[in-house]
Amino acid sequence: TEEQAQDQPLQQQIYDWKLVTSWPKNFPGLGRAPETFAKYVNEMSGGRLTITVYGAGELVPGFEVFNAVSSGSIEMGHAGAYYWKGKIPAAPIFSAIPFGMNANEMSAWLHYGGGLELWRELYKPFGVIPFAGGSTGVQMAGWFKKEIKSIDDLQGLKMRMPGLGGEVLKQVGALPVTLTGGEIFSSLQSGAIDATEWVGPYNDKTFGLHKAATIYYTSGWHEPGTTLEFIVNESAYTSLPDDLQKIIEVATRAVNQDMLDEYTNANFLAMQQLIEEHGVQVKTLPEDVMVALRQATDEVIAQKRAEDPMFEKIYAAYDTFFEGVKAYHTLSEQAYYENR
Amino acid sequence: MSSISLLIDKLNSYLGKFVSFATILMALIMFAVVVLRYGFNVGWIAMQESITYLHAAVFLMGAAYTYQHDAHVRVDVFYRRFSARNKTLINLIGTLFFMLPTSVFITWACYDYVVESWKLKEASMEPGGLPFIYILKSFLLVFSLSLFLQAVSELIKHSLALITNEVSA
Amino acid sequence: MEWLALVLFVAVCAALLFGYPVALTLAGVSLIFAGLGIVTNTFDASYMLTVPNRLFGIVNNTTLIAVPLFVFMGVVLEKAKIAEDLLISMSTLMGRFRIGLGFSVVIVGMLLAASTGIVGATVVTMGLLSLPTMLKRGYSPQLATGTICATGTLGQIIPPSIALVLLGDVLGNAYQKAQLDMGIFSPDSVSVGDLFVGALVPGLVLVLMYLTYLIFVGIFHSNHVPESGQTNEHGSVLSLLIALLPPLLLIIAVLGSILFGFATPTEAAGVGAVGALILAVTKRALNVDNLKHIMRETTKVTSMVFLILIGASIFSLVFRGFGGEELLKGFFSDLPGGMFSAVFIVMLIIFLLGFILDFIEITFVVVPIVAPILITLGADPLWLGIMIAINLQTSFLTPPFGFALFYLRGVASEVIKTEQIYRGVMPFIGIQLLLLIIIAAFPELVTWLPDLL
Ligand code: NA
Ligand code: NA
Repeated sequence: TEEQAQDQPLQQQIYDWKLVTSWPKNFPGLGRAPETFAKYVNEMSGGRLTITVYGAGELVPGFEVFNAVSSGSIEMGHAGAYYWKGKIPAAPIFSAIPFGMNANEMSAWLHYGGGLELWRELYKPFGVIPFAGGSTGVQMAGWFKKEIKSIDDLQGLKMRMPGLGGEVLKQVGALPVTLTGGEIFSSLQSGAIDATEWVGPYNDKTFGLHKAATIYYTSGWHEPGTTLEFIVNESAYTSLPDDLQKIIEVATRAVNQDMLDEYTNANFLAMQQLIEEHGVQVKTLPEDVMVALRQATDEVIAQKRAEDPMFEKIYAAYDTFFEGVKAYHTLSEQAYYENR
Repeated sequence: MSSISLLIDKLNSYLGKFVSFATILMALIMFAVVVLRYGFNVGWIAMQESITYLHAAVFLMGAAYTYQHDAHVRVDVFYRRFSARNKTLINLIGTLFFMLPTSVFITWACYDYVVESWKLKEASMEPGGLPFIYILKSFLLVFSLSLFLQAVSELIKHSLALITNEVSA
Repeated sequence: MEWLALVLFVAVCAALLFGYPVALTLAGVSLIFAGLGIVTNTFDASYMLTVPNRLFGIVNNTTLIAVPLFVFMGVVLEKAKIAEDLLISMSTLMGRFRIGLGFSVVIVGMLLAASTGIVGATVVTMGLLSLPTMLKRGYSPQLATGTICATGTLGQIIPPSIALVLLGDVLGNAYQKAQLDMGIFSPDSVSVGDLFVGALVPGLVLVLMYLTYLIFVGIFHSNHVPESGQTNEHGSVLSLLIALLPPLLLIIAVLGSILFGFATPTEAAGVGAVGALILAVTKRALNVDNLKHIMRETTKVTSMVFLILIGASIFSLVFRGFGGEELLKGFFSDLPGGMFSAVFIVMLIIFLLGFILDFIEITFVVVPIVAPILITLGADPLWLGIMIAINLQTSFLTPPFGFALFYLRGVASEVIKTEQIYRGVMPFIGIQLLLLIIIAAFPELVTWLPDLL
């Protein structure tokens, strides 16, 4: 909605926007990013563009963010692209691919490797413009009630894991289960499920998952650097003057980095506490499990590429970039990790 | 006029009785999900999701039927003591100003939403979920349309009741 | 224009009193207000465009799937006449004590409450079966009707209960919202299962209080109870055990599978529904007509509940659109006395609203607005949930509009005066309020068991 500010000598328009999110308001990390974004925009625009943030369910349910922004009833949203998998099969590429790119690599692909253009092309038919909206960094494989010694232990394992990771898990014989946010903790605690993934130490500790299971598996093969998104209704965006459009763009870039910084800081502190104060055992998934998961991931992705032309097109670009950056990062980042 | 009302009542009554079978199906499938998962370590998310579809069918498509049977709860503090004529009057006014606008508004608001989902043949986002979200969303329109029709039927019935009552009085 | 939100609330309450179905009144009045707001430029029209998203959110809410399943289970048990067998065998066994019959009623009520969550059926069954016997044996009409009404409402607080399912869903969201608003990330979450476990001890305490009250009356107001027990009756322990078996099996199947981790509350509801069906089949109480009746009743109750949820969702959207939430937040955070005075006021409001509104309406309309505020002020969500549940349970008993009273009035003979029923439930309302005070003073009663598990 727009209203005229009458006492201004220049006829300056004030834009009053709503931003809906897929997370509860102020949710650590994920939910703080849209708040920071709104604050940046409000300040940078000198109050000409004010953005009010609504948590999941306050105006629309978390999984309805895209629909609401697409229909134009809401101007902006903050969510994760994998939530739109049911209507846009290629969308998950822009949040997380199992065994895919990490936060740093994703951001590079989006902003310098042509990823963002493909993303915009994908959302164009819906009248929605995406911006990178932060990253959680490498996640954790999840909380398990019992040890995973070999691939056999995954057979019939009842695990809550959404998205492509869930499909991969199903492929190797596990039993992905859907649960609402409120059911996850109590189901893990009571043993109704054997394992669940959530995010990383920062969010998992907040959620209290260490009270329900003691074994914390690494790494987050299924979400190696989950990217979030700011989405803007196209006609709302084009109705803005150029300077306000630029403010939105710059603020998303700032928040994209800011969320990763918040996670990096909070994750290591939380992991320290989990291990030292709560006696959590951090374990690595055995190699045969990793081999099986990697193989299943290839199968799942091959299937997606065959099913959907947009998935094929975007994944081909993603993969080309990934292969290149992976080779370089083996020589640089990985070599350094082993040296330091 | 009253034949239109009769037809609508019949239609919604069939609809309600039809979806009532979903209640026992829900119970049986849910039971099967639990037994299969904890007894045999197998399960399908599609099976879990089918219960959501049945559940939605029951409460959305059963709403008009429930109205017919006057089973939507009322605050009957005063209502209980009203004369039959006043009750009819309240139901006429309520239907005209509450039920009719509500059903029209929901139909109007949901139409594009449902059509958009059909265009995409929207599927579940869960691994192995049901690919029929567009059908699930369509239940919203069946709900609002059946409620709208019921409102029309009630308006006819209540108006006729008031008129004939006046004649006899 | 925040005051318009309050006008909306008052208008809805006023409109409800005319007696048109609650769900449609909620939606209709809210739509009219939104329309007026849009015309007068005091309401942002884009709010209303989120209605499809919100409705689909209700469709996708898997926690609430427990509602039709528990309703189904309750209707099946009613048809299978489980309560009848139990009451007869227990009262013949305990009939030799002066207050034996009263005790039987309370204990059977507790067992029924633990196997299902429907108030009406329990009150009607008890009213038909035990009220005439109690009167014949020499219980005063007040004590007899009061005991039956109060016992019949136990299904609300003793899990599994539809009230707790609805509250759990609403409170889970409220808790998350409140924690994050505070920036204090307490690691607790609250779910339907937590509320079930948390309600067990308070529910049992309530049963003990009812029984204690019966003993108290037996000793100090013995004119209300028979002068002696029925010495000529010799019920067999065996027939009691046989009658006890079905409800106990169901209780184990439903509560057991939740407590021991075989199923979520929603799944347990499915287990209970099928368990009840199997019981009904073994008792030969199921035929095609019965089954049709069961399915249609379940459809009606479910549609009724969810249409209210839909109406409440439209109401809360419009209420929020007018800035109502901010208004209330301001009111409660400025209250002197902090959390306790805020909880006290909310409890008082819910108690008073309970005179005219049903627990479903209060849960959907009032709780989502006040709960996040109270939790932000420091109220433990589980404790708050059980406090609200007990308070709502009381609303079934408060004259003149308590549902339990209607149900009993419907089946009690004309010899019993309505005032006698009203006077009969008074002590039990007192007991409920006493329990509220006890739980306010000792929150451990709620939190102890969930912490243990
Ligand atoms: Na995750
Ligand atoms: Na119960």
